[in-house]
Amino acid sequence: MFRPTRDNDGVTDTPREQIALARAGMAVRTAFVAPFTGRARRELTFCLIGVAFGLVVLAAPFVLIGLATAVTLLLPRPDHQPAVNVSLLVIIPLGLVAIVVLATPAGRAYGALQRRVAAQLLDTRIEPPPPRRSASGRERTIGALLGDGPGWRALGYGLVKIPLSVAEGYAVLCWVAGIVNISYPFWWRLFRNHPPSVRLSAVPMVTPLGLFHVETFGGTFAAFGAGVAMLLAAPWLARGVSRLDVAVMRPLLGPGKLAEQVRQLRDSRAQAVDDAAAMVRRLERDLHDGAQIRLATLAMTLGMASEKLGTDGAAPDVDEARELVAAAHRGAKDALADLRDLVRGIHPPVLDAGLPDALSTLAAGCPIPARLTTDLPIRPAPAIETIAYFCIAELLANATKHSQASHIAIDVTARSNKTLAITVDDDGIGGASVTAGGGLAGLTRRISTVDGDMRVTSPSGGPTTIAIDLPMSA
Amino acid sequence: MRRADMRVVIAEDAAMMRDGLVRLLTDHGHDVCAAVGDPDSLRAAVAEHRPDAAIVDIRMPPTHTDEGLRAALDIRRDQPGVGVLVFSQYIETRYAAQLLAGDASGVGYLLKDRVADIGEFLDALVRVASGGTALDPEVVGHLLRTSRDATGLATLTARERDVLALMAEGRSNAGIADALYITAGVVEKHSANIFAKLGLPPSDADNRRVLAVLRYLRS
Repeated sequence: MFRPTRDNDGVTDTPREQIALARAGMAVRTAFVAPFTGRARRELTFCLIGVAFGLVVLAAPFVLIGLATAVTLLLPRPDHQPAVNVSLLVIIPLGLVAIVVLATPAGRAYGALQRRVAAQLLDTRIEPPPPRRSASGRERTIGALLGDGPGWRALGYGLVKIPLSVAEGYAVLCWVAGIVNISYPFWWRLFRNHPPSVRLSAVPMVTPLGLFHVETFGGTFAAFGAGVAMLLAAPWLARGVSRLDVAVMRPLLGPGKLAEQVRQLRDSRAQAVDDAAAMVRRLERDLHDGAQIRLATLAMTLGMASEKLGTDGAAPDVDEARELVAAAHRGAKDALADLRDLVRGIHPPVLDAGLPDALSTLAAGCPIPARLTTDLPIRPAPAIETIAYFCIAELLANATKHSQASHIAIDVTARSNKTLAITVDDDGIGGASVTAGGGLAGLTRRISTVDGDMRVTSPSGGPTTIAIDLPMSA
Repeated sequence: MRRADMRVVIAEDAAMMRDGLVRLLTDHGHDVCAAVGDPDSLRAAVAEHRPDAAIVDIRMPPTHTDEGLRAALDIRRDQPGVGVLVFSQYIETRYAAQLLAGDASGVGYLLKDRVADIGEFLDALVRVASGGTALDPEVVGHLLRTSRDATGLATLTARERDVLALMAEGRSNAGIADALYITAGVVEKHSANIFAKLGLPPSDADNRRVLAVLRYLRS
């Protein structure tokens, strides 16, 4: 985009160069500090443990074969029967069955351990897969063990872990060998101060590019340089490899797509139930503190008034009775207003006539001038209309309270018969955000119960745009 | 029974209701020492003024659940001389049981609606202030319904049941006679029958009667 500026030469370049320089300086600092941060240490530890995990997988077949052999040899064998027959006929099939049956629990245990390591060291939480269940609902049948998808997926992860652990080992090697290489110049003189006639063999030096040999003191400086380079590269290598590991972990050790969806549905259902309960509680509270107390007070005031009027004949205290009746009259009107507000809060009757009518009433009642545009060729489901209405009502109330805006624009459009797109813009001071316990968080929760979505754009200084997408039917 | 010089502390968080109660009591010659809106101020006011009675709303800040009830129980424990009239918009049998546990003297539990009948409300307050009992008919009804199956109670006649209900509200024999348009002698006959059928030894004190009845109802 072309932007005309008054002074194009030199002046505009200097700040840009300065920024570039500052950025470069920062990058260099980051590169030198990286090996010594806690995060680098944790990632390195993760790689180190990763190597152990890889070794476990590699060692498993040997351990199993060893076990089988040991069992075969230790079994008491009758003199007249050779050991080979026993192992062929009994041990091998039994062993195979045991391996197959124990495979998925072992996979699950392996996966759980790996998830814990990732959570501890990489701060990466991967949800565990749902517990094992067979069609009949029993957990310990052979069928359940064999058909345990997450268990087999975890075993698959175990296989992928072998090449991963090689890469992780490489990162660890970079660290360790880097430190060793850096040390060369420091001890060389101590141990290699031999007479010139003695020939010592060269000292090997490990680098990512292969094995080198150091023969002279000068050579130790090359080793030192290589060590520094390796030490600087190691954290980035460790970071890359652990990220790759996590990327593999998510699909293989996570709950799986369907289970994840089920979890989300369960969460949103729980939220819907909670919301409904909270709504009922709020209603009870509003009635209890509002209309009910007003009516009780009203009854008391009328009781006092009727006392003042006496049971028959001339009233003993007409003036006070009059005053009490007037107070009761006011109280009755207040109670009516309370009830009306409450009813509107439960379900605004005008919503029955459709969202556009209800929203135009809402917009007209907003203290800040609000312009409403709607494009709804078909009506959304009633539940969606209600959510849309209350969301917009809440957003208008929020804007009135906090935004200092002078205009609000509300747009409600049905997109492609599937999505109800709502935007509420204001030209106020911005700074709106979804904070826990805040009004916007409540909206987000409400919207998520129907798989809707809310986006808040509200830079400090404004303007604010809040976009909500709801499905047309819940 | 009318007394026109009770000293009363009111704890009610709805200002409208509180002001109404203050006016009502002052109008009838009682002295409202303090009218507060939360349980801590209530405890402080009762300790300071040692009133004849405290009117206590069950739902008060901060959580608006049963703060008032807990404050009322504290007052009953720490200041036995103060009559406590618990005042609520709904009736919970459990709250009634907690309030009446041990000793039913100087305690009352009324629906806020009862304030509409000013005479009866003031009667109840006076009763509580002078060590008697005032239970909302709703509470008694609840208790009677929930323990209808209890042995003995089923053998009561409809009239005896009416008398028992009024007795449980804390009314004297004269009060029961007035309410049922019968003579005090008939009431005494009915109550003797009730005590016999329920296997309770008759007693002079109203409160012990109520207590006994309630203890039986709760069992």
